[in-house]
Amino acid sequence: MNANPLSELPQHQLPISQPRYVGQDVPRIEDPLLLTGRAEFGDNIHKTGMLHAAILRSPYAHARIRGIDTSRAEALPGVAAVLVGAEVKAQSRPVFGIPEGWTGHALAVEKTHWAGEPVAIVAAEDRYVAEDALELIEVDYEPLEPMVNALEAADGKGPVVLEGKDTNVMYARKFTFGDVDTAFAEADLVVNEDSRWHRSAGNPIETCVCIARWDPFDQSLTLEGSHRSPLLVMPALVGALGLSPTQIRIYTSPLGGSFGVKTFARYVILLSLLAKKLGGRPVKWTEDRIEHLAGNSSHAWDRHHNAAMAVRQDGTITAVRIRAMDDFGAFGEWLGVGQIVKPITIFPGCYRIPAYEYDCAAVLTNKVPQGPYRGFGLPSHYWVLEQLVDLAAEKLGMDRAEIRRKNFIRRDEFPYTIPSGNVYDSGDYEAGLDLLLEKADYAALKEQQAAARKQGRLVGLSVVTSIEPGLTGTPMLGLLSPRMFSRTSSPEGMALRMDGFGKMIAQVGFPWGGQSQHTFVRQILADYFAVKAEDVQVVVADSSTMQPGMGPVSSRIAVALGGAVVGAAKLLAEKLGRVAAVMLEADPGDVELKDGAFQVRGAPARSAPVPQVAGFMLARADKLPEGVDGNPEVSFVWNPPDHYLADEQGRSHYGVTATSAVHLCMLEVDHGTGQVEILRYVMVDDCGVRLNPSVVRGQLLGSLAQGLGNALYEEYVYDDQGQLLTTTYMDYLMPTVMEVPVVEEYEQCTPSPVTSLGQKGVGEGALHTTPAAVRCAINDALHPLGVHIAEAPATPFRIWSALQAAATSP
Amino acid sequence: MAVRQTVRVRVNGLERVAETDVRRTLVDFLREDLGLTGTHVGCEHGVCGACTVLMGGQAVRACIMLAVQADGAELLTVEGLASPDGTLHPIQEAFREKHGLQCGFCTPGILMTTCELLASTPSPSTEEIKDWLSGHLCRCTGYQQIIESIQLAATRMASDQMVLSAQ
Ligand code: FES
Ligand code: FES
Repeated sequence: MNANPLSELPQHQLPISQPRYVGQDVPRIEDPLLLTGRAEFGDNIHKTGMLHAAILRSPYAHARIRGIDTSRAEALPGVAAVLVGAEVKAQSRPVFGIPEGWTGHALAVEKTHWAGEPVAIVAAEDRYVAEDALELIEVDYEPLEPMVNALEAADGKGPVVLEGKDTNVMYARKFTFGDVDTAFAEADLVVNEDSRWHRSAGNPIETCVCIARWDPFDQSLTLEGSHRSPLLVMPALVGALGLSPTQIRIYTSPLGGSFGVKTFARYVILLSLLAKKLGGRPVKWTEDRIEHLAGNSSHAWDRHHNAAMAVRQDGTITAVRIRAMDDFGAFGEWLGVGQIVKPITIFPGCYRIPAYEYDCAAVLTNKVPQGPYRGFGLPSHYWVLEQLVDLAAEKLGMDRAEIRRKNFIRRDEFPYTIPSGNVYDSGDYEAGLDLLLEKADYAALKEQQAAARKQGRLVGLSVVTSIEPGLTGTPMLGLLSPRMFSRTSSPEGMALRMDGFGKMIAQVGFPWGGQSQHTFVRQILADYFAVKAEDVQVVVADSSTMQPGMGPVSSRIAVALGGAVVGAAKLLAEKLGRVAAVMLEADPGDVELKDGAFQVRGAPARSAPVPQVAGFMLARADKLPEGVDGNPEVSFVWNPPDHYLADEQGRSHYGVTATSAVHLCMLEVDHGTGQVEILRYVMVDDCGVRLNPSVVRGQLLGSLAQGLGNALYEEYVYDDQGQLLTTTYMDYLMPTVMEVPVVEEYEQCTPSPVTSLGQKGVGEGALHTTPAAVRCAINDALHPLGVHIAEAPATPFRIWSALQAAATSP
Repeated sequence: MAVRQTVRVRVNGLERVAETDVRRTLVDFLREDLGLTGTHVGCEHGVCGACTVLMGGQAVRACIMLAVQADGAELLTVEGLASPDGTLHPIQEAFREKHGLQCGFCTPGILMTTCELLASTPSPSTEEIKDWLSGHLCRCTGYQQIIESIQLAATRMASDQMVLSAQ
């Protein structure tokens, strides 16, 4: 076993002398089922009498629907029902979103808003027949001019996407913190860059699945499938269908990845309405990959940036201005627009930047609506910010590592409040940088680079940093909709029950999704009560039995669920402790839990093991103390500490923990082809105490690969008619094993003083850092030729074109 | 009405016969007609590798084959790897130990490819492993821990083999 980081952590909250599971690579609960093909993913679910749905989608980005004839489809043997927009409009409200009022219905009604928007849905005996029926539906479209240019949309030009609106600007706000104007006026140096980050998305290998059943007799709706968290889906249903939550029951299946995608509110509403038409028969929709690429509300971050940084001669950064305009697609669905404001929660990254301005906007175009993607809008922010730091270093003749060191928040300044109000709990950025430079042998790399340059090779280096907020709370959403989100709670709950043998069942509100959360629930509880890991089972509650909880969003699970588990364990220990006091004939105040037994303080020989106490509690109602029931069961709901509603300027304590990372990338650009080859990739990260190191490593390596995709390959490409050109995995290029480099990983551990075990959120991980690291290194490689890439992904074609242009310009 | 045909296959050592539409893909046949839902569908256009099964010992993509094309074939799917008593196959064991899976959705396909790889190349180099994995997309892991899992499985299986041949 490794040395346990908890042993050095004075404030850790586990009543055990030597934790056996927390901090170790404990095998995962979910693996035996996953490895043997027995996990019940959504598409495996089969119900008696179940029908299968298929969706007809608009071939046009923008078109009026003059009429729909479904008669031939309905007449096809095996077809049970066809649903069209008019019925959806009559029976439901538009899909919920914030800011309110910027979405359409679950099916297109009068017009279509993007190529791929659902126009009709069919339920049939099998999926093949349902798809046959789609071909028999006749839609009379009148094509309209599509809005495909976000810059024009922002300027008020061109067609308007949403009926009833007179603008495409859905959200715009300029946030200013500190005296930005003065800082720019007094700067020794100002660097600028305009840049473009194209849309990409999470693309889990499992697509979305929903099985819906409407019971006409008790007027209730049951949903099953790949929903990442019932409480994220429930409000969408309640809002659109006008049902009460007590009429809806949502069960979740294991997720074959989500990365933010698996809320799919529009489809959940659509399937519910279809089910209502089927008079009690369940219906399943499994999204196919092309639908996922072109139809799900899942594309993310399609941004135009104008950025500037004010710097003093000595390298001190005094202010930053970023204008970010997001081409949001057709609707502002669900919480997606939050991605444009999230940068204010960590705007200065690891640096002490006293003043900044963030001028952000989200505009509508006739493209796939955006939805959440891992990182929720931060990766493109660091991709801009870190490049500005490099540009400043270059102009000042400073080393890229030294300019960063100069501006770091110092280790004795935590907790550190950034100008936009968020509080970073802890960190030691300089130590992280030193570790990175030493392990990578930075000085030697610089020499190697110089030697390579002499030979005419395009070799580049970068050192970049990022902060990952461990959960961003609801006050951020209040910036978009004060009406819907005047709240500070971001709950995560747990119910915990012990049997008479000391075995436990912990109940959480969300399914497996890859991040191994259920396993660390087991680790923490087994250590808390000093039982074997196998003595703790974790079960998934449905929407009607779960505690309030948001589930795995926003790097929150280690922090939030970690808080809930420890909170529930403490409550259970308290309850058992009062029973133990009766058994030990001691004052309850003198009884404490230690290493799996309740003992009398100062007289450890007088003790009762936990299982005995639980057994006694269940068996001896006659001995229970006043106010204690005979049930070793508790529930606890964790909420982020010290959260408050954002003030008028937009300041709030948005997060809980601040994980830091520093990456080094060395790469070579092929002069002839524009191809990038990564030569070295080294990373250091500090996510505090690692509950399960191997799981943390997996999160980091996986998110790094996604970041590499953003940096170099992944892009949803549209033509000027709003047609998506990347509708298969042959065109939308996610990294394979051939593209992902071997990464050298090092860790720091600055335990968080504000979480239950010193842990920090790390689920979104390296995606924050890698795109910036790769781009900065590319631009360093190209610098001798005066070429600069300001687009993501930096595809070979883009780099090659820039090299050609430079070669031919005088 | 779709034309139907009887398809007879040996899957995981058992004879299975079912009548199915001739247009049905092999993966839908396995999942829906035979109830073998361990084989997953990720793209249905032959790129992601999630649907990989072994046919006559060779990895094939069950999403771009028709069930009728497998008539008479010997198939191995992920359900056939572990023993019925619950003992994992050494490849599965290695993936568990090395955290070679996160969501586990791509995993059955990758396990099947690994079976063929280790059957044909018991001690593969890292380059060979990457070559074999290049037809699989995993969105969760970033692949490094998959490579490490396969390396561990290879080492273990090679030493088991030595023990066996010594006996
Ligand atoms: S599902 Fe067959 S290759 Fe993707
Ligand atoms: S483990 Fe999730 S896709 Fe590979």
